[in-house]
Amino acid sequence: MAQMAAGKGATMDGQGRRKRRGRGTSLAGQRYLAAVLLLVPAVALRLFTAFYPFVHTFYLALTNYNPAFPPAQFIGFGNLKRMATDAAVTSSIAFTILFVLISTLLELVLGLAVGSLLNKPFKGRGVARAANLIPWAMPMVVCALGFRWMFDGDYGIFPDLIWRVSGLRFPWLINSWGSRAAVIITNVWKSTPFLGLVFLAALQGVPAELYEAARVDGANAWQSFRSVTLPLLLPQATTMGLFMLVWQLASFDLIYTMTGGGPGFATQVLAYNIYQAAFGGLNFGYASAISLALFAVVFVMGGLGLLLYRRVEVMF
Amino acid sequence: MSQRKLTRRDFLKFAGTSLAAASAAGLLGSCGPNATPAPASPTQAAKATPVASVAPSQAAAKPTAAPAKGKTLVVAIQAFAHDAMKPVLSAWEAKTGNKVSLESGPATGQEMMTKYAPPFQSGTSPVDVLSVDDVSGPAFARAGWLMPLDDIIPQETWKDFPEGMLPPVDKDYFHSYNGKRYRVPHEFAVGYFWYRRDWFEEKKVSVPKTWDEFVTVGKAFTKDGVWGTTEGMKKPGLTFVYLAYLTAQTGGDIFKFDDATAQAFQFAYDLIYTHKIMPETVLAEDYTQQNDRYMKDTVAMMRQWPYFWDVARGNTAWYKEGRADIALPPAGPAGPKTWYGGWGWSVPKAAPNPEEAKDLIAWITSNANAPTLAKGQSWFVMPRKSILDAMGNTGLPVYMNQYTKAGCLVPRPYHPKQSDAETVVDDVGQLFLTKQMSLADAMKAGRERIAALG
Repeated sequence: MAQMAAGKGATMDGQGRRKRRGRGTSLAGQRYLAAVLLLVPAVALRLFTAFYPFVHTFYLALTNYNPAFPPAQFIGFGNLKRMATDAAVTSSIAFTILFVLISTLLELVLGLAVGSLLNKPFKGRGVARAANLIPWAMPMVVCALGFRWMFDGDYGIFPDLIWRVSGLRFPWLINSWGSRAAVIITNVWKSTPFLGLVFLAALQGVPAELYEAARVDGANAWQSFRSVTLPLLLPQATTMGLFMLVWQLASFDLIYTMTGGGPGFATQVLAYNIYQAAFGGLNFGYASAISLALFAVVFVMGGLGLLLYRRVEVMF
Repeated sequence: MSQRKLTRRDFLKFAGTSLAAASAAGLLGSCGPNATPAPASPTQAAKATPVASVAPSQAAAKPTAAPAKGKTLVVAIQAFAHDAMKPVLSAWEAKTGNKVSLESGPATGQEMMTKYAPPFQSGTSPVDVLSVDDVSGPAFARAGWLMPLDDIIPQETWKDFPEGMLPPVDKDYFHSYNGKRYRVPHEFAVGYFWYRRDWFEEKKVSVPKTWDEFVTVGKAFTKDGVWGTTEGMKKPGLTFVYLAYLTAQTGGDIFKFDDATAQAFQFAYDLIYTHKIMPETVLAEDYTQQNDRYMKDTVAMMRQWPYFWDVARGNTAWYKEGRADIALPPAGPAGPKTWYGGWGWSVPKAAPNPEEAKDLIAWITSNANAPTLAKGQSWFVMPRKSILDAMGNTGLPVYMNQYTKAGCLVPRPYHPKQSDAETVVDDVGQLFLTKQMSLADAMKAGRERIAALG
């Protein structure tokens, strides 16, 4: 009976479940094959453009491959040892982490402030919202060139304003910490509008009744912000913070255009080191090793960010 | 109709299949004929072939196969040189029936490497003829990505260059590697000493002939927003240029970070912080900003490349006679020196139209066409006999001759890993000049990093 119910040619297992035979001939099998065929190109492309380059980079990192100085030789962890003693690389690991942490923190705080302001009703709010996006729309290279002039010790508008107010002259781009501050300020100026937009969208999803209830309870503006706005925005803030953190780890164009990694290597980031090793001296082996160092930093920071996100998710 | 869900096992199965397919595709791709074998190492070449004679090959250039007609070749060179190229290229087009498309080439060695290393590495080339600089040219030649030109360029062209500008072909240098030439220079980049003759005449000040006089004159001009001198020393590359210029005047070997190099570094530091005749902001400025300072009447003297001749005269709102004159550089302990380098023409080994490219490069670099290019753009002015005969006593050749006769010219410092070595000078120079490192530590760090290059 069971076999008749299952269909001609089908066999049953011990628990009465139908066993498949001749998968390619059945309709279910054909649909399965169609699904596989449709998915294979996308998966193959992804694997070929992501997995294969990663494996090849790992291999190159273990060699001293330089096409101008053949042949390539396997040197094991020789590149790693070189990185550990290369002051330019160790300095850039430290500054890369500092750069992304401070930039992300400032972007989150300022982005929230911008989003809150743009959420208030005022005349010309539409224009303000559009104007807010201008920095984000400008290419980073253009911003970097502009800010390089603005921070110039003799021609720059910033040193001039500071001098007029305080009488002090500060050589931003010549001082190691000044140049680091300059690139962070430029980066924050460029990226904050995007976060402002994200937070604006999030704020518009906060029910007005909650603010009314807080007002009835006697909360002032700051208390409303702290008790209503912040908790509801925390998941988005964590997500965006994680996104910006990982995204900015690969920053290159700002540093290349604005400071060239100088003065010395005060503003060098890992992406710049990779570029210099690969395209300065064709040191593909060494550049691959530095790439793996960047991957490690991304992995660790991304992992920590995910842990934080999960904690926030549980809280809310 | 029954529906079958895609299980985790099935997904892993076809992901594994896809991975295998992707890996196989990658392996098959890398096994193709794209990889260009590099030239044999010097030791192998030395064992296999006797060292070439000092003079370039005595044989006349082998006649190349007749180029086909109707092809379009791509020539890459910096955009400001395109107008000067057009008459020469038009004549070649008329002669051969082929077309030439000019492409804007990068302006620095590192940009050259960035743009062309990937296609060359993969065995292809987006261009047929390429203008390469002193950093990328040797690297490309070593990697086996350029065609040897000894048999393509006729002897009369090689002999048109002054002795010393093209060292013996068996010496690895900017134009040659492993006994072959890979580049025909088309630019003679000299760090000239530019000054405001009008200001000097007004103040009745003589052109400085020594470092001490340079400082004294610089102090005389430095006040009220005007500086004695300026430079563009932004990374990458520009710090090396200026420090190598000063090291030429001390007689040092900059890549050895010797005592004479330390003297040059200290002089640069003193110009900024001790004598205060050069603004410290130059360490973050490029040549555009440097030229801008000069043409905004805030600088009395500076070192700058020959292209400033056209830049200054092209600024018709500002330029007047006497505002951008050239004098011999101030003499350091080793005399009034400046280093020269330059760009040159090469043909990529993977050029899409190799036979036509060979004909084109021979045409562009010929003794007949070199003066045409030089008259069209000062960047092409070189001490080639054909150019000096054609241009007579006008323009930049006057100063080129002056510098040559005074023995001012020294060749650009050379290192087999040119880009890496210049980066070391950039980094160490900036660390010292921004007070992040002492002079002694800078010299030590420089020596160690150069040694680490191998």
